[in-house]
Amino acid sequence: MASVALFDPCYMAALNPGDADNARRILEALGDEVTLIDGRCCGQPAFNSGYRGEARTVGRELLRAAQPHATIVVPSGSCGSMIAHFLPTLFAGERRLGAQSIANRFVSFASYVLHHPNSGNLGLKLAGVVAYHDACHGRRELALTADILALLGRVEGLEVRRLAFEEECCGFGGTFSVKLPEISVAMMTAKLNDVAATGAKVLVSGDFSCLAHLDAGARGVGLKLESWTLPELLVRALS
Amino acid sequence: MNSRRGSYKDRAAREIRDERPAATVTPIMRKLIADSSAMLERGPADAKSRASAARAYAIDHLDELHSIIEDNFARRDIGYHVATTPADAVRIIRELLGGARRVAKSKTMVGEEVGLTHALREAGIDVLETDIGEYIVDIEGRGPSHITAPALHLNRTRIQEMLQRTGANLPDDDPVRLSRYVRDVVGAFFQDCDAAITGTNVAIASSGRLTIVENEGNVSLGVSHPKLHIAITGYEKIVADEAAALSVLEVLAPSATAQPLTSFTHFLAGPLPGQERHVVFVDNGRSRIARDERYRDVLKCIRCGACMNSCPVYRVAGGLSYGSPYMGPIGAVLSPLLWPGERYADLPQASSLCGRCTEVCPVGIPLHRMLLDLRADAVASGDAGSRREKAGWLAWAEAFRGATRARAVTALGRIALRGTARIIRPHGDGADPRMLPEPGAPHDPSLLATATEPRPVETFIPIAELWPDDPIALFRRRAAALGVTVVDSLEQRPDDRLLTATAAIASTGSVLLTGEHAARRPLLAAARVVVNVDPATIVRFPSHLEAYLGEGDALILTGASRTADIEKQIVKGIHGAEEMVVVLQKNA
Repeated sequence: MASVALFDPCYMAALNPGDADNARRILEALGDEVTLIDGRCCGQPAFNSGYRGEARTVGRELLRAAQPHATIVVPSGSCGSMIAHFLPTLFAGERRLGAQSIANRFVSFASYVLHHPNSGNLGLKLAGVVAYHDACHGRRELALTADILALLGRVEGLEVRRLAFEEECCGFGGTFSVKLPEISVAMMTAKLNDVAATGAKVLVSGDFSCLAHLDAGARGVGLKLESWTLPELLVRALS
Repeated sequence: MNSRRGSYKDRAAREIRDERPAATVTPIMRKLIADSSAMLERGPADAKSRASAARAYAIDHLDELHSIIEDNFARRDIGYHVATTPADAVRIIRELLGGARRVAKSKTMVGEEVGLTHALREAGIDVLETDIGEYIVDIEGRGPSHITAPALHLNRTRIQEMLQRTGANLPDDDPVRLSRYVRDVVGAFFQDCDAAITGTNVAIASSGRLTIVENEGNVSLGVSHPKLHIAITGYEKIVADEAAALSVLEVLAPSATAQPLTSFTHFLAGPLPGQERHVVFVDNGRSRIARDERYRDVLKCIRCGACMNSCPVYRVAGGLSYGSPYMGPIGAVLSPLLWPGERYADLPQASSLCGRCTEVCPVGIPLHRMLLDLRADAVASGDAGSRREKAGWLAWAEAFRGATRARAVTALGRIALRGTARIIRPHGDGADPRMLPEPGAPHDPSLLATATEPRPVETFIPIAELWPDDPIALFRRRAAALGVTVVDSLEQRPDDRLLTATAAIASTGSVLLTGEHAARRPLLAAARVVVNVDPATIVRFPSHLEAYLGEGDALILTGASRTADIEKQIVKGIHGAEEMVVVLQKNA
């Protein structure tokens, strides 16, 4: 039995409170002992807005909480990207090396589950159709696409439909969606059209931030669509 | 001139509301990006890394390469000038122009950067924009919206209206007719003009030659017709040698327009007899940028426009929203670096940080990371960020300083969102359809079973084409794809322009003309161009051409002259023959 930490990102705790439990259930089904890291943030919102001092203050708390753990599973692609590529750059000298060595121990949820030695024993089964949204940070910063699709491919009975313009951003971009709403909405509308064309009524992604945004748009325009995270989908496939 | 009033947000909102650029731009760009990546994939596997290395070397040795090129220019009788500021550039060019009254200008982004056309007109000089897209946006008066397709934001109907306003008599808005109308205006101007101003894509230090790429033939006219040719370019647009220039060319046209090479690729040596040639390198902050480790790589840019072609923000808000001669991701990085201060401090916000620009950049510029650094710089310098925003982030950081406090704040947020989601929308003006998220809203697994049939979507997947290994077979196929007739023997016509190629390129279907065969005047005047190609001289990729380039004037022809400046529809036979024939036969 492996011991693993699970990071519940701040915005997911606020917007999708059940997701940490879903992720925990999957990790426990793999036979792991799970420690939850919550009440922390990777600092990305401030970092992306140019407020690096504030991002460092906040990100340092996450690194401290993560320090005792050999592996920390992170269920959100954009947090994973912030931690792996940017958070360590907020520190100088020795501290930067220290931060990087902790950051390197974060593993994306999909990769962790896919490559877990007990992964084959999960017995995932779920009949139906989902569309897949390939989140930008997972795709380009972490190269997660193949792992996520492989994991979805393990779910017996599940048909995964790819989007025609999979590589296009959904228009969220954190504070971008608030600072430039007209542009964000136009991007989101293009993405929703792309999702609707697949015919699927459930959208799955490795990044809840995109999903929350698309969900907000889908409800606003009256499109029948639900957005599920990977842990949610896998939990439904467990039983 | 571009409108620089207001913030990026205001300009973008105005463009989206009034012009709806995405309707025109998105389908064009989706197709272009798909074609472009297919074109790059079929090139040499190491093309991007070689191009990137060639540009990196140049940026690391800028001053050294400039001292080499200055000597080589002297040897070739080309004037060498460096302008420190935009005002210097304008002053130098006005001095070089002397008494010239009619000036034919082709597309140059640095020309836009220094406000050249405007400044020369102020001085009473008659300047004609000779690139079809530039000619059109010059009438519109709002500046180019794309670095390689200036009139991309305008559809054919708008263009017809604009041309009519200048007195054109056009019965319909057929892009062929519109393009040819502008072609004729430009052609007539060249019959009587004193000087030409062009840009330069790459200045080659080791040989002192200038590489200029173009499709229409207006640059060909400019470098061969008037007595004076002035090229204006950025101080960084230099490479070490021919191999480096070819590496850049190998990715430039595929990334820009999904062409293998542009119709004309010039390697200009010294001036023709009786002609004068000068090159003005504009610094305008580039030496300063080169000293900044975080941003110096932006100088590797070859101005292909792939970053804007792929950028979702550019597609939605259009190029004019940037209010800068440089638009899209490269514009959002370059503008605040070239013009520090408040003016462009908000442009780095014009990105969702999706990283697509970095992914497609053929010379490996980490554009989205530079955008992040520029955002931080703007906050640090006070050029961006309101007092309220600063206070907000400070409070946020305080809230997340300890886990207990953070949990409480998170829970409060969750409670606040519950219930309000249905009532309050993020932006009250009704234009934003999004609803606030509802934390923990229950999901309905039965939806998994209610999927409908997928709706067909036009996805622009280019046909996978297997390329033959044999260079002659490949050349035949690629040349035919460009509309070039390839034959083994030919009955000549009296008005044919008969040329012998020094070499040819299989992967691009191009022919290389050197020395007198590269002479532009007779080439452009010909009704039909017939080029003899010795099959033994066909190389596979542009980068293999180095040994054939010689020392003097050279010209690579890749199909007939063409334009795609109106809705990206290709119109062939602009300046120069529409018909090109290649005769494959062993040289006598």
